[in-house]
Amino acid sequence: MMHCTMEELLALRANEGSVWGRQHLDACPVCRGELEALYQRVAQLKALPPISPARDRWPVIRDRVQGSRARGRRMWAARGLAAAALIAGVAVLRPFGGTSAYANELERAKQQSASLEAELQQYDPDSRVVSGRAASLAADLEDRIATVDGWLAQLNSVPAGPDPQLVKLWRDRVNLMQQLVDVHVTNAAYVGL
Amino acid sequence: MTISLAVPDLLIARAKSGDVEALEALYRAFETPVYNLAQRMLRHPEDAEDVLQETFLEVVRSIKAYRGEGHLWGWIRRIAASKALMRIRRDQVRSEDVFDEELIEGAQPVGVPVRIDLERAMARLSDTSRAVVWLHDVEGYTHEEIAEMMGKTVSFSKSQLARAHTRLRGYLEGEGIAR
Repeated sequence: MMHCTMEELLALRANEGSVWGRQHLDACPVCRGELEALYQRVAQLKALPPISPARDRWPVIRDRVQGSRARGRRMWAARGLAAAALIAGVAVLRPFGGTSAYANELERAKQQSASLEAELQQYDPDSRVVSGRAASLAADLEDRIATVDGWLAQLNSVPAGPDPQLVKLWRDRVNLMQQLVDVHVTNAAYVGL
Repeated sequence: MTISLAVPDLLIARAKSGDVEALEALYRAFETPVYNLAQRMLRHPEDAEDVLQETFLEVVRSIKAYRGEGHLWGWIRRIAASKALMRIRRDQVRSEDVFDEELIEGAQPVGVPVRIDLERAMARLSDTSRAVVWLHDVEGYTHEEIAEMMGKTVSFSKSQLARAHTRLRGYLEGEGIAR
């Protein structure tokens, strides 16, 4: 006697069984037993106790969320700084004829900073899983970059010549950005913090 | 696993505005269901934890897009299931999903009957079969929905379910791993 296949039993369970399957089921205690066992198995699966994670992942998620917001704020701050620097460059650097070593150095640091921002944005760190250690390092670096941005904003608000302090701050920013890229892209566990 | 978890609209509204405390409350509410779903579909707890993290990063990013149609758990569960399936696909690319009852750890000698419990039987299925069983029989997804999430056909989902149940029956009835 031919019995129902598992496909047929599953179809019968879903009320999609063939006419032959339904008729056979009525006449065959073996297949009725199989169908009952299928129901039992699924009931047991549904009754399995829920499993909780061994570790709390929220701190990592929170750091990523806050880091992402800081990054967003930083990006807008950097754009503001770039615009301010452009205006200041037109107004202040022109008298130096663009030959100042500081002016060149400043321009180079700004380009490096923008390039690293772009690299980080392309990598899209928010969509990746990181360790708690890496998330903590990234959050720390982002805080320090935000502090540098604050100082840069203050300096940019005061029209002045190509200040060595301004150049140093932009170099610091590049250095911190490079470390941030290292943490995200190369998963560096140590960046000198 | 039945979820009857009600989330206040106010909490969702606060989460949408980016309130970190509200986001944490959502995480605490759905941490176990999401992890449980991932762990039932995947083989390793570490992978399930990664899916948990990826799911909530996605929830935080996309909560503003949640329109309140249907239970929030349904929306989060869909994200979690997709993340878990992505991980299975990624691992399949590496190993071609050959991990099956023939290769389980601690396998019995050929021909020796072994009777095992349901959780161990599920663990012996291939990742794809186990995911289909869990999504269809426990979470209640249709074959059409599973096929869409997996990027496969409805027939594929149905055949995986039948194959999985045939094997589960064998393990549970003590037919052993030998065929």
